[in-house]
Amino acid sequence: MDIPYTVTARPDTGLYNAKVGIWLFLASEVMLFGGLFSSYIFLRVGADYHWPVHELDVRLGFINTLVLIFSSVTVLLAWANLKLRKIGKFKLYLFLTILCAGAFMGIKSIEYKSKFSHYAVKLTDGTFLTGHLPHGYEIKFGDVTNLTLTVQSQTAAIDADPVSYVLPLIQGEVPKFKTESGEEITLDKDSFAKLRADALAKAKESGKNSGTIKLTSVAPLTFQAKPTKILGYAATALTFRDGTVAEGKLLDDKMTLEVDGVDTRSVPDSEKSLAWSSQYLGESWKKAFIATRDHAQAEFKEKYPNRDPQKSATHQKEAFYLKIKSATPPAAEPHGEDHKAEAKAEEHGDAHAAHGHHPEVVLEKKDIAFYSNYTPKLNTYYAIYFTLTGLHGLHVVAGALVLGYFLFFDGKMLRNDPERLANRVEVGGLFWHFVDLVWIFLFPLLYLL
Amino acid sequence: MADSPEEIYKSIKKIKLIGWVLAVFTVITVGLSYVELPTHSLNMLVGMIVAAFKAALVALIFMHLNHEAKLIYKILAFTAAFAIALFFLFVFSASDPLVFSGFYESNQ
Repeated sequence: MDIPYTVTARPDTGLYNAKVGIWLFLASEVMLFGGLFSSYIFLRVGADYHWPVHELDVRLGFINTLVLIFSSVTVLLAWANLKLRKIGKFKLYLFLTILCAGAFMGIKSIEYKSKFSHYAVKLTDGTFLTGHLPHGYEIKFGDVTNLTLTVQSQTAAIDADPVSYVLPLIQGEVPKFKTESGEEITLDKDSFAKLRADALAKAKESGKNSGTIKLTSVAPLTFQAKPTKILGYAATALTFRDGTVAEGKLLDDKMTLEVDGVDTRSVPDSEKSLAWSSQYLGESWKKAFIATRDHAQAEFKEKYPNRDPQKSATHQKEAFYLKIKSATPPAAEPHGEDHKAEAKAEEHGDAHAAHGHHPEVVLEKKDIAFYSNYTPKLNTYYAIYFTLTGLHGLHVVAGALVLGYFLFFDGKMLRNDPERLANRVEVGGLFWHFVDLVWIFLFPLLYLL
Repeated sequence: MADSPEEIYKSIKKIKLIGWVLAVFTVITVGLSYVELPTHSLNMLVGMIVAAFKAALVALIFMHLNHEAKLIYKILAFTAAFAIALFFLFVFSASDPLVFSGFYESNQ
């Protein structure tokens, strides 16, 4: 059976059917993105932190905007050339459109990747240190011989499962363990199931719901784990996520950070920020910070004598968020023309910075309130950023797939019924323009404002 | 709908022109975002006006909503109304509905 009205208009609607269909679909898409834009407004109005402005790479966002505009033009030119039966040009422009989709996603993935490897560490006084973790961040805990496992007879959130939660964190070879009865075992699924059954049987005898298993390793163990992989730790004990407790010694829980920014906007007195303590960035960086801050404040006062600097988000960022682009502080001469030359030199320094030309600080665990890479965990801005751009990216991929189908698999229709294919391309193009339309709002909202 | 060859040639010219206009306005958006207006809300307002203008160009010219069948305008009228309603949902976050329901009193 043929689908009716693929080329000619249906008399009552005045449109070919696919067009009505795509507009109904786009209407539902508006609702989908509308809900997310509404969430953006809600999160921004309710944000209790400094909403990031110009924090993403504006250059890459700008290039991507141009790429989408260009592709919107090419998809229309493809349609127009098909209408004129200029098949070569039609194929060329459609191919260019798909190429643009690839370029857009490529640039987007570069942006995403840089966010995944970039970290923000909130210190206990509210200062944010931003930068990279050259060695990752892991806790080292050693000298462990005794493990205490707790097994539950009923389903519980925390129930001993050493095979999944303890063994993978052991550094080096996994040694044998001695049970309480003195038997030497290799800890694996089967041997643990047996231990578990014994412990629960014993617990039942004494009328308890949970039993304990004590294991002694034949050689001392060292554990190394990301903080998310364990439940908690103190100087002499570490608790794994399955509730297993290891007795031993905390070896290292310091975080090495290559600092590329110090954000003191949430600190009451920026000069007293923890970042400037002698064990971290120290006096010389503090001086550099004060020079930049005072310069920004003087400039703001001169330019806008009647405005309240407290209310200018961009000024607050300029004055209280020090960007660090060299391993040692620049000489404190931030006045006049010199400053401009210096700023330019710093920009050129960017390439070197990528190779680790940043001051390194070793942060004490007690000073860290929270840390995260630039992902939804960091704050609501990055949550909505990844949601919106991720969904938009999926639409770009979907659009490219549809247009790619018309280009590569619709050869038969191109020969037999080019007018119908033109309508298909038009409908695919309408979707493509909608994707561009969404980006027209996303770019300023996420990158610029 | 542009169907005769002359009309299509004409529309190709128009498409390219609008493409350039959109690119220029993208530059303007970026530039304006670095201008320090009296309040940041004003920056937001200006930025959104420029974005709305660009969006209108895309919708009217690229998606040819400047001459479309009546049915599509009917669909979009509903869409626009509901979308605008969505943007104002955040006002409900200004008050805590649990206060009015007596939730806190009964839990004291």
